[in-house]
Amino acid sequence: MAEINVIQNIGVSGFIFCTLLLILPFLVSYYFKLGIIKKSVIIVSRMSFQLFLIGLLLTVVFDINNPLINVLWVFVMLFFATYTILEGTDFKTGPFLPTMLILFSIANILVLFYFTGFIINLDDIFEARYLIPIAGMLMGNSLRANIVALNDFYQDVKNNEQRYLYRLCVGASRKEALFPYMQRSMLSSLKPTLANMATMGIVFLPGMMTGQILGGVNPILAIKYQITIMVAIFVTTVLGVLVCVIVVVEKGFDDYDLMVEDIKKV
Amino acid sequence: MDQNIIEYRDLSIIHSHQKVLENFNLTIKEGEKVLIRGKSGTGKSTLFLCLLGLMRPSGGDVYFDNLPVNGNSVSVVRTKVAYVPQDVDVGRDSVNEFFDTIFTYNAVGFTPSFEKIQRLLEWFELDDSILKKEFKSLSGGEKQRIVLILSLLLERNVFLLDEPTSSLDSSLKSKVVDYFANDPSLTVVVISHDPQWEREGLRVVDIPNK
Repeated sequence: MAEINVIQNIGVSGFIFCTLLLILPFLVSYYFKLGIIKKSVIIVSRMSFQLFLIGLLLTVVFDINNPLINVLWVFVMLFFATYTILEGTDFKTGPFLPTMLILFSIANILVLFYFTGFIINLDDIFEARYLIPIAGMLMGNSLRANIVALNDFYQDVKNNEQRYLYRLCVGASRKEALFPYMQRSMLSSLKPTLANMATMGIVFLPGMMTGQILGGVNPILAIKYQITIMVAIFVTTVLGVLVCVIVVVEKGFDDYDLMVEDIKKV
Repeated sequence: MDQNIIEYRDLSIIHSHQKVLENFNLTIKEGEKVLIRGKSGTGKSTLFLCLLGLMRPSGGDVYFDNLPVNGNSVSVVRTKVAYVPQDVDVGRDSVNEFFDTIFTYNAVGFTPSFEKIQRLLEWFELDDSILKKEFKSLSGGEKQRIVLILSLLLERNVFLLDEPTSSLDSSLKSKVVDYFANDPSLTVVVISHDPQWEREGLRVVDIPNK
């Protein structure tokens, strides 16, 4: 990215002041007996540790900048993203993980390389400094939609099972009978992403753009990145949701097209 | 016409840890009209569900057109049988949308003419305007007639009717019973507590109490 100036460092004193800020939520917790002081301390410490660790690792990965390592890193991210999606749903992780991982990887990799290759037009589409953060943004921002799609779809079929079964009885294939449920779960999972895009720039300045501006990038360039990444996130979300629904349609029903009961977590 | 169309062989069903049917046998020939009777909870409706693959029997086999009903054949059964359940849920669709959806399915394969729909509506003493109404808002009798109309629009020869006349008035009930009981081209299996079906001389099968 061009025009990077030296960004103001956050020193030890900065971190001390940042920690002091936490006194305010602690006071609120104390007054309202929320009981979150200990939990907050643990979570903030954990978050700091994770981020410092990832920062160190990323520094090494960025320095080496080996295409193989970069792609491997993306696959590790894809594995954890898929695992997190399934853990966030009512489904057992095991039966769905392999298929979901393959399809989810295809969807994400396609958009990722399209983005680095054609949109940013990089000479080296595997360049760590672009590939890894963009992969993270694509996956991270589509996670929630995928979880919503999976949960909503299954719940909707379960709640309206009689309707689904009747459609089968008149001759609908499984996909035909499930089509309205697929539509509904896709719509409900994509709504937040659409709403997010609609309010961007008016209600809030998105993280990537803010980060770039703080890093000294010209706001217009930061906006160009933001617009294109939002479109890429939207596409990844749609493809991710599609993958989720396809996997449940294929794996969540038996050869009689009836819902498989033991795919749910106990 | 002497060919077996539906056969239950040593059928046993356990539902919610309770034996519903045990070693049940029944053969229905093409063109036959069968009335299934029995008290509530004896497993009358589950006979239909097993044939349609909506419930797996715990023992025995179900055959349709001499083929065992299993994961490979169940979709064929579903496209050859017209099933009229006691309750139908079609969500927020209007009657028209309900019909339209069904006739977009690949295996259904055709769209009935509007004239045919109109003729059936008239036969069932319904006005055209019902097509625009939300299915959910209809009375029990109207819903029952719409589902019967759909079953006839599907142009199938095997009918599974589960209490199909329970919400109809007596004159319409007579017409419906008369139609299904006397068309030689149809195989009809009906579950009903209504004595009118019995009077038409259907073969009666009593499901024993468990």
